[in-house]
Amino acid sequence: MLQLTFFNITNGLIIGAFYALMAIGLSLILNLSGVINFAHGGFLVIGAYLAYTLRPYIGFWGALVVAPFLTALIGLAVERFLVRRLYGRDPLYSLLLTFGLAFIIEDGTRQIWGANGLPFSIPEALSSPLSNEFFFITGYRMFMVAMVAIVVALLFVLLRYTRIGVRIRAGTLDLETVAALGVNVRALRSLNFAVGIFLAGLAGVLAAGQIGLEPTMGDGLLMPSFIAIIVGGVGSLTGTLLGGLLIGVASGLTAVVFPSASEAVIYVMMAIVLLVRPRGLLGEEGMLS
Amino acid sequence: MIKRLDFGAMDRRAVVKAGAAAGLVQFAAPFIVAARGEAPIKIGVDNPLTGTYAAPGKNEGVGIQLAVDQLNAKNGILGRQIELLTEDSTSGDAGAAVQKARKLIERDNVDFLVGNVNSALAQAMAQVSNEKGVLHIVPGGHTDGITGTNCKWNVFRVCSTTRMEANSICPLLFTTYGKKWHFITPDYAFGHTLFDGCEANLKKLGGTVTGNELTPLGITDFSAYLIKARAANPDVLVVLVQGNDMVNCLKQISQFGIDKQIHVAGTQQELEPVEAMPAEARVGIWMFEWYWKQAAGTPGLDQFIADIRKRTDGKVPTARTWFGYVTIHAYALACEKAKTIEAKAVAKALSDMELPPEIKMQPNKVYFRGGDHQLMLSAFVGELMQKGDGDPENLFKVNHIVSGDTDAPPVSETGCTMQMPA
Repeated sequence: MLQLTFFNITNGLIIGAFYALMAIGLSLILNLSGVINFAHGGFLVIGAYLAYTLRPYIGFWGALVVAPFLTALIGLAVERFLVRRLYGRDPLYSLLLTFGLAFIIEDGTRQIWGANGLPFSIPEALSSPLSNEFFFITGYRMFMVAMVAIVVALLFVLLRYTRIGVRIRAGTLDLETVAALGVNVRALRSLNFAVGIFLAGLAGVLAAGQIGLEPTMGDGLLMPSFIAIIVGGVGSLTGTLLGGLLIGVASGLTAVVFPSASEAVIYVMMAIVLLVRPRGLLGEEGMLS
Repeated sequence: MIKRLDFGAMDRRAVVKAGAAAGLVQFAAPFIVAARGEAPIKIGVDNPLTGTYAAPGKNEGVGIQLAVDQLNAKNGILGRQIELLTEDSTSGDAGAAVQKARKLIERDNVDFLVGNVNSALAQAMAQVSNEKGVLHIVPGGHTDGITGTNCKWNVFRVCSTTRMEANSICPLLFTTYGKKWHFITPDYAFGHTLFDGCEANLKKLGGTVTGNELTPLGITDFSAYLIKARAANPDVLVVLVQGNDMVNCLKQISQFGIDKQIHVAGTQQELEPVEAMPAEARVGIWMFEWYWKQAAGTPGLDQFIADIRKRTDGKVPTARTWFGYVTIHAYALACEKAKTIEAKAVAKALSDMELPPEIKMQPNKVYFRGGDHQLMLSAFVGELMQKGDGDPENLFKVNHIVSGDTDAPPVSETGCTMQMPA
C-alpha cells in the first residue's frame, strides 16, 4: 500500500507537470490581457494535428519544434483579428468568443482530418520504461516532464531578465501606465498571446504521443488547467505551476482509494480553495476583480 | 440619438415580422408537401455527429445513407421514396437528443426513428418514440436495458447487448489466459452491465476478480489505474472502456510494457479506435460485432465493401456502418412484409424476422428475437494484429464466429416483459 501510494504520488507529479504546462499558457493570457481563453484546448488540438501532418516530412523531433510555432502563428492571427477587438469590454465577451472558437476548431479539425482518431506513436528512443518496477515512468513521460521543466525555466528567464518579460510583468499589474510610458501595448499583448498559444501547441504535440489524437482530445485537459490556475492563484505563474502539480497528485492519489472520484476531486479542491482562500495559494488579492 | 432609436424600432418590428413569417412556414411546410402528391416515407436519424461519439455516429450514418440510396434507386419502400432527416444528438446531452427526437417526430412527422450510439441517449429517445407510437431501431447503443428491463413494443436493437458480448468471449479468455481477472471499466451504464456480465461468467467458470477500476468517461490518463492493476498481479487485464478511452488505455498499456507481463483482453472492440492506435498498442483478444474480412463468397459482402469504399475515400465498412445499413434495410423489409408503414404492423413484422444473406453478411442465422426485439447477431472473436494482413485496414484476425443464439441469454433472463399496445 505504501509503495502504491508512492507510485501514485510520483505518477501524479508527472500528470501534474503536464497540466501545469497548459495552465501556464492560459495564465499568461489571462494575466496580461484579461482574456479567459476557452479555446486553449482547441489550440492544443491544432498543435497535435499539425505535428501529425508534418511528421512524415520532418520526423517527430522536427514536428515537436515546428508545430508549436505554427500554432503560435495561428494564435497570433486569432488575437489580431478577433480577440483584440474585445479588449476594452466586459471579460464575458472574450469568453464567449473563445468558447465559440473552441467549437469551430473542434469541428474544423473534424472536417479536415476526419472524425476518427489518428495513430501517433512515440519515437523508439523514448518508448521504454525506466525499469520493470517503475514501469509507469516511461522514457516519454520523463521527456515530457523535462520539456515542461525546460519551458517553464525559459519562461521565467524571459519574464525576469528580458525587457519584453519585464514589460509583460509590468503590464499585468498596470497596463495603462505601461502604455503611458511609451510601450507598444498592442504588440506586447499579441506577443504574450502568441507565447501562451505556443505552450498550448507544445502541450498538444506532447499529448498526442500519450493519448489518442482526435478532435475532442483537448476537452479533458482544459478544465484541469483552469482549476490549476484557481488553486495556485490567479496572477501568479509560480502558483499556477504549483497548482498544476497539486491537482495532478490529488488526482493520482484519489485513484488509489476512490477511483471514480479521481476526476471530481480536483473540483472539490477548487471549491475548498475558493471558500477558504479565494485568491489561491500564491495569488495576489484582487486579481480577479 | 432619436435617429438611432427610430432605426432600432424599425429593426425590432422587422425582426418580429420575420419571426412570425418563419414560424408560419414551419407549420405550412407539411401541408405544402402533402399537396404535391405521393408523400415520401420520412426516416429521422438522431445520432451523434459531434463530440466523442462523432466517429461511430458518422459511420452509422454512412451505412444508413447507402441503404437509403439503394432502396430509392429500386422504387423506395412500398413504392414511396425515402426522405432522410439527420439531426445531431450530441454525444452526451440527453436533453438535446430528446429535443431533436421530438422535433423529428412532432414537427417533421417522421415515420421511423433511428438512434443512438450513446445508450443513455437511446433510452431517453425510446421514451419519446414509445410515447408517440413511432417505430424506433437502435443501431449501436449497447446497454442491456434497451431490450431488457426497458424493452418496448416499438423499439428494436441491432447491436449486441453487453451480456451477449461477455458471454461470447469470457469462456475463451478463461481457458486461454487464466482465472484471475482485473477490470478497467468505464463508469456508466454500459460499463456496469458489461462488467456484471463478465463477472457472472467468471464466477460460473470458477475464476476471481482481483479488482475493478471504475474510470470516469473521457479520462485521458489511465496510469493510476494501471499501477493498481499491475500491483494486483492478475492473469488477464480486461479492458472494457471504449472509443477514445480504449485508444488512450491501450496506448498507455503498451508504453508501460504491461502487455509484456499480463495478458490484455476485453470484450467489445471496434475498428474505429483500432485504427486510431499506433501499431504497438494493437494487442489482445477481443470480439467485434461485425468484421469486414470474412470467408470469400459471403453473399453481398464484396459489393458492400466496394460501395462503402466509394463513399469514404477508400475506407472499409466497420461494424457501425453495418449497424446503420441493417437498420434501414430491416425496416424496409418489415414494411414490405406488413404491406404498410403503420408502426404496430411493422413492429409485428420485424419480430422474429430473419435477415436475408446479402443483408446479414455473416454465417449463422441472424434475426430479431420476438421476445425482446434484440437482433441475434454473431460475435466475431479473435485477436488484434499489429500489422495489417493483406490490407492496411485488416487489423483483426477472426478465430471464431459465435452465433447470437448461443451467446444471448434467454428472454426470461433479460428482464424484458414486452407490453404490447392495445
